[in-house]
Amino acid sequence: MIEKEDPVISEEEAAQYDRQIRLWGLDAQKRLRGSRVLLAGLGGLGAEVAKNLILAGVKGLTLLDHEQVSEESCRAQFLVPVTAQGQNRAKASLERAQNLNPMVEVHADPDRIEDKPDDFFLQFDAVCLTGCSRDLMIRVDQLCSKHKIKVFCGDVYGYYGYMFCNLGQAHNYVEEKPKVVKPSGESNDGPEAKKAKVDPNETTMVKKTASFCTLKEALEVDWTSEKAKAGLKRTPVDYFLLQVLLKFRTDKGRDPDPQSFPEDSQLLRQIRDDVLESLSLNSDLLSDDFISYCFSEMSPVCAVVGGVLGQEVVKVRM
Amino acid sequence: MVQLVGSLRKELADSISTCKILVVGAGGIGCELLKNLVLTGFKNIEVIDLDTIDVSNLNRQFLFQKKHVGKSKAQVAKESALQFCPSANITAYHDSIMNPDYNVEFFRKFMLVMNALDNRAARNHVNRMCLAADIPLIESGTAGYLGQVTVIKKGMTECYECQPKPAQKTFPGCTIRNTPSEPIHCIVWAKYLFNQLFGEEDADQEVSPDTADPEAAFLNSLFWFLWGYFLITAARATASDKDGDIKRVSTKEWARSTGYDPVKLFNKLFKDDIMYLLTMDKLWKKRKAPTPLDWHQLENKCPKEGTPASGLKDQQVLDVWGYCQLFQHSVETLRSQLQEKGEGAELVWDKDDPPAMDFVTAAANLRMHIFSMSMKSRFDVKSMAGNIIPAIATTNAVIAGLIVLEGLKILSGELESCRTIFLNKCPNLRKKLLVPCVLDPPSANCYVCASKPEVTVKLNVHKTMVLTLQDKIVKERFGMVAPDVQIEDGKGTILISSEEGETEANNSKFLSDFGIRNGSRLQADDFLQDYTLLINVLHVEDLERDVEFEVVGEAPDKAPPPQTNQEEVNSITNGNKDSAQPSTSSKAPSEDDDIMIVDSDEEDGAASSSAAAATSGTKRKHSDAETGETSTKRPRTDQSAADNNDDDDIIALD
Repeated sequence: MIEKEDPVISEEEAAQYDRQIRLWGLDAQKRLRGSRVLLAGLGGLGAEVAKNLILAGVKGLTLLDHEQVSEESCRAQFLVPVTAQGQNRAKASLERAQNLNPMVEVHADPDRIEDKPDDFFLQFDAVCLTGCSRDLMIRVDQLCSKHKIKVFCGDVYGYYGYMFCNLGQAHNYVEEKPKVVKPSGESNDGPEAKKAKVDPNETTMVKKTASFCTLKEALEVDWTSEKAKAGLKRTPVDYFLLQVLLKFRTDKGRDPDPQSFPEDSQLLRQIRDDVLESLSLNSDLLSDDFISYCFSEMSPVCAVVGGVLGQEVVKVRM
Repeated sequence: MVQLVGSLRKELADSISTCKILVVGAGGIGCELLKNLVLTGFKNIEVIDLDTIDVSNLNRQFLFQKKHVGKSKAQVAKESALQFCPSANITAYHDSIMNPDYNVEFFRKFMLVMNALDNRAARNHVNRMCLAADIPLIESGTAGYLGQVTVIKKGMTECYECQPKPAQKTFPGCTIRNTPSEPIHCIVWAKYLFNQLFGEEDADQEVSPDTADPEAAFLNSLFWFLWGYFLITAARATASDKDGDIKRVSTKEWARSTGYDPVKLFNKLFKDDIMYLLTMDKLWKKRKAPTPLDWHQLENKCPKEGTPASGLKDQQVLDVWGYCQLFQHSVETLRSQLQEKGEGAELVWDKDDPPAMDFVTAAANLRMHIFSMSMKSRFDVKSMAGNIIPAIATTNAVIAGLIVLEGLKILSGELESCRTIFLNKCPNLRKKLLVPCVLDPPSANCYVCASKPEVTVKLNVHKTMVLTLQDKIVKERFGMVAPDVQIEDGKGTILISSEEGETEANNSKFLSDFGIRNGSRLQADDFLQDYTLLINVLHVEDLERDVEFEVVGEAPDKAPPPQTNQEEVNSITNGNKDSAQPSTSSKAPSEDDDIMIVDSDEEDGAASSSAAAATSGTKRKHSDAETGETSTKRPRTDQSAADNNDDDDIIALD
C-alpha cells in the first residue's frame, strides 16, 4: 500500500519548507513527504485543499474530477485559466497546481469517481472528497476505513460549509498538555502547596487514542432515541441543513444554482420539510432563512473550510 | 424576491464590484486575501508591500513561484491574481505604507482598509491613518497555528492602540555581559558583538564584562563598603563611562588594531574577558562559573577530520573546535566585506547573510559552551537570532477568509455584527476552533483615539536628551513617524521639528536645558497621522536600572502581566517585528529587537531599532523569539486545557 521509503529532506526542500519545519519539525515534514493523497472535486473548496496540500509538501496529489470547466468554475477557483472552458476541470487545474510546488507529484484524472474500482483508492494514504454524492461518500468511507486509509469529506454551499473526517477506530496521536508539577512530599505551607500545580510555560506530549465513527453512522443518527433527543439541543442546525443539501444533490445531481434560484429555492424548502419529517423532527428546527444563503461556493468560506480541512489532512500525515 | 449574483445578494455584489479597497501587505495573509477578494468579486483593489520575494516565502505565499524570488511582492501578487481574474483592477505599490505620500487623502479613497502586516509600527501607523480618515480597518495576524481578525471603526470600537500591548521582553545588561544562563542571552550577546565589531556601535550593546554589576559588589561590610566605594568611585571617574566599563578604546578600534585577527579576538572574548569575570567572585558563589577557552589548546586536542555528518548542514551541532573554526572563517569573511566597503564602513546584521549568521552562530555557541550550556544548531540559533516566526499556508488561508467575511458585513452596513475572531490550534472545551468575541467600545483613556489624548511620562529631565525623547519616546514608544514637539511654556518653544535638520542642534541637549521640569507639558504632533499627543513630564531622580523612561499607568517592563490564552494569542499575532523594515531590505539598519512572542507572516530581518516599541525605554534590548520544535519551554497556546479561564476575558458566542 504505502512505500516504506525514508525520504531525505534535501537542502532545497529545507530552504523552501523552512518556516513550516520550524513549526512542526523535520520528522513531520519527512513523513508528509512520503504521503499520497487523493482529492476528488476541483470546485472552490477542492482548489483550496489542493493548494494547501501541495504547499505543505506531500509526495503526491491526485486531482480527480470528471466535470467540465464552466463559466462559473472560472469565478469559483483560482487554478483554472479563464480560457479553459469546456475542458476537464482536473486537467485544466493541473498546470497551476503543479506550479505551486514542483516538488510534489500532481496528477489529473478525468474519470468519474463512481466508476473507480475499489483498489483505485487503496493506493492512497488519505482520501479527500468534495462535491461527491452522499452514497458515494459512504461507500468510499467504508472501503477506506477497512484498509486504514484516512477519509476526509467537505463541501461548501454559499455561506455554509462542513468537514468530516474518519481516522479509524483506533487513531493514535499525541497532544501537547501543560506540565503538571507534582508537589513535594513534605510541605508545611498549607493545603495550597500540596496541590499539583500546572506550569504555564512547560508542556509535555501525551499519547492518546481516539475512535472515529463512520460517515454512515454520523449521517444516520436516529433522532427518536432518548440519547439523540438529549443531544439535539447541542447539535448545530447546520447538521440538518447538510442533510437537506445532500438530498438535493442526490435528487438533482447538482447543487443549488443561482441561475435557477426560484425553482431551487422551492425545492429546498420542500426537501427541508421532507427531511425533517422523515427524521421525526419539528419542521421549524430549520427556518427558511438558510435558503438564500446556500447557493454557489463562496470564496472566503472555501478558504476557511479548505484551510481547516487541509490542515487536518496534513496533521494526520505527520 | 431575493436576487443572487453567485452566493451574494445583488445589492452586496454591486457594492463589492464598485468599491475601492486597500490591502496593506502582500505576504502570507496578503496573498490569500488578494485571492479571496478577486474571487468574491471585488474589482478595485490597491495593494502595497515594501518587501521582495524570498525562497522561504514559497511554502505559503502561493502567488509567488521560485522564478519570482527577488521581485516585488506587491507587483507579482497583482500579476498572479490577474491570471485568474483578468477583469480585476489592481494597483500595486512597492513601497512602505509609512511613506508620507500615503496621506489621509490617499486613505479616504477607500471604503475599507485591510491589514496583512507583520509588525507593530506599521499597524500603529495604519491605525492612526484610518482613524484620521474615518475608514473602517480590518486588522489581522497569524503565528503558526494561531490567528485572529478584528474590526476597527473610529468612535465605535477600540482602536489598535486602545489596549496597551504587552511589554517587550528585555534582559538586563549584566545578564548579557556577565551572567548568561540561557542560550538566548548568548545569542543576544553575539549580535551585540557583531555590531561592536562590524556594525554600528551602540552604547546600549556593550559586550565586555560589566564591573558595575550590582551583584558583583566586591565588599560587603559597611566599613569596607564605604572605603571601597570611595576608592572605586575615584578610580572609575578617571577611567570609565557611567556603565562601569574600563574602556579607553572602543571594541571596534581595538579589533581594527589587531587587524581583526580571529585568534586574537577569540582569546580576548572567550579567554581574557572570561577570566576577568571569574575575578568577580561574588557572581559565582551561587552560579556555575564560566570556563575560559584557549585557542591553541583547543586546536591541539581537536580530533582530526572525523566523518562528515550526514543530513542537513544547518541542523548539525558542531563540537567546540568546529565553532572555533566557524568563528575564524566568518570573521575573515566579514573582515573582507568591511574592507571592500571602504573607510568608515559598517555592516548590518542580516540573518540571511551567511557569514553574519555564521558569526552569531559561532560566537553564541562558544559563549554557551563557556557557560555550560548545550550548544545549538545553526537552525535553532537562526530562529532565535532572527526572530523567525513559523508560518504555514492554512492558518493564513483561514484568517484571510475571515477578513473577507468581516468585510462583507461592513459593506452590508452591518457593523454591529462584526466580531473579533480567534483561531485556535485545537477546538476549545466548547468544541470551537473559531471563537468570535463582541467588539469593545473605544477606551476613554486611549492615548491615540481619545478626543484629547494625554500621557504622563516619568523621566529624569537632567539626564534625558532631546534625541532620546524623539527616538525612543515619541517615535518608538508612541508610534509617531515624523513628529513635531513643542513645549507648552506660553512661548511654544520648538524642541523637535519634523523638518530635517531644523532642530538637530537640540539633539544632544538635555530637556532641563530648555526649562523642562516636573509638571512640564509637551505637545507632540504627527501631521501625517493627524495625531496630537500631550505629554506630561513627571521628573524623577532614579528609575530602574537600564530604564530611561516609564509611561505612567502601565505594567513595568520586566515581565509581562500574566495573561489568559486569548490575550496571549492577541500578543502573539500582533507582531514580533516592531519596525516596518522588510525582511529582505538591504538598507535596513540595525537589528530589530524586543519581541515579546513571535508573530505573523514574515519574519524580521534587520530593522530600525528606533522604531522598536517598548513600554519603557530600556537601554539594553535584545531579541527574544519562539524557538520552534526544539524548545522544551513553549508558551502555552493550546486552548483546550485552559478554557475555564477564558470566560472571564472573552465573551464567546455560540
